[in-house]
Amino acid sequence: MGAEDKKSPFSLRAALGAQWLPLTVLLLYLWAFGASKDEAIRALVLAGESFVSVLPILIAVMALTGLIQVRVDRGRVAKWLGPGSGAKALIFAALCGMLLIGPPYVIFPLLLSLRRQGARWAVVVTVLAAWAVKIQMLPLEVQYLGWPFAIGRSLITLAFAIPLGLLVEAVMEAGRPRG
Amino acid sequence: MSGIGFLYLGLVALLYGLCHRGSPEKTGKSLRVSGMTFLKLLPMLAAVFGIIGLVQQFVPPAAVERLLGDAGGFRSILIAGLAGAVAIGPPLAAFPLAGSLLEAGAWPPAIGTFVVSWILVGVLTLPLEIELFGTRFTLARNGLSFVAALLIGSLLGLVL
Repeated sequence: MGAEDKKSPFSLRAALGAQWLPLTVLLLYLWAFGASKDEAIRALVLAGESFVSVLPILIAVMALTGLIQVRVDRGRVAKWLGPGSGAKALIFAALCGMLLIGPPYVIFPLLLSLRRQGARWAVVVTVLAAWAVKIQMLPLEVQYLGWPFAIGRSLITLAFAIPLGLLVEAVMEAGRPRG
Repeated sequence: MSGIGFLYLGLVALLYGLCHRGSPEKTGKSLRVSGMTFLKLLPMLAAVFGIIGLVQQFVPPAAVERLLGDAGGFRSILIAGLAGAVAIGPPLAAFPLAGSLLEAGAWPPAIGTFVVSWILVGVLTLPLEIELFGTRFTLARNGLSFVAALLIGSLLGLVL
C-alpha cells in the first residue's frame, strides 16, 4: 500500500516534532534556574507533584489505549466503512471515529486507505472529527476539567462530526463536474 | 484524588480480564502496545508537566485571565483556538495543560475550544495531510475544523 511506503519519513517528522517540545521546556527551565533558582525548583516540584497525582489515571488510559488498539482491527473498520454512502454510513463513521486510537501519522494513512476503498469525503472527515472525542481519555478530562465539561465537550464534538464531514465534502465537490 | 485513579485502573484491569477470556494471546500484545505508547509519550508528558510547573510558578493568573478570561469574550475563544491549532503534542497532553489554564482563571468556553482545536486542527501536520489528501482537502478540513472548534467551545459555554 502506498501509504505504508511513505510511513517512515512521516514518523521521522513526527519524532522531530515530539522532541521539539521537551527541548524547549528544558531551555525554559535552564532560563528559570538562571533567573531564580528557588522558583525554578518550586516549579519543578509542582510539575512532579501533578505528574505523580495523575499517574494512575495516565496508566489506566494507556492500558485502555493498548487494549482498543489491539482489539479494534483498523483494516476491518476501513473495509466496513469504505463502500457505505448513506446516513447510516455517516453515523457508523462517527461511532468508528470514537473508537479509533492512534497518532495523526497513523490515522491519516488509514483514512487514505478508507478513501481508496471508495468512502465519500464526508465519511473520511466524520471519522477524523469523531476521533477528537477521545473517549478513552475521558477519565483524564474529568480529572482536569470536571464532569460537566468533559461530557458536554464530548457530546458537542460528536454532534459536530457529521455536519463537519458534509461541509468539507461540499467544499471538495463545489465547482467540480459531477458523475 | 489518586483514589479515583486507582478506581479507573481497577476498571481497566477488569476489562482486560473480560477480554482475556476471549483470546488470551491478545492480552500480552495489548499490554506491550500500552507500554510502548507510554514510553514513546514519556518525554512529551514530562515536557507538558514541566510546562504546568512553570505556568503555576511563573505565569500570574492575571495574565491568563487577561488572555483567556471571560471578560475577553469571543477574543478569548479565538486566542485559545489559535493556540490549540499551533500546539504540538499528543491529545493526551492537552487535558493537563487545559486544566492548569482553567485553574488559573481561563474561561471554560475558551478552554473547550483550545482542546478541540488542539486535537482537530494541526498546523504541524499540514504537510503530511497535504501530501496524503491534497491542498484543497487539507485547507478545507483544517479551516472548517477551526471554525467548528470555536463553535464547540461557545456552545459548551451555553451548557456549563
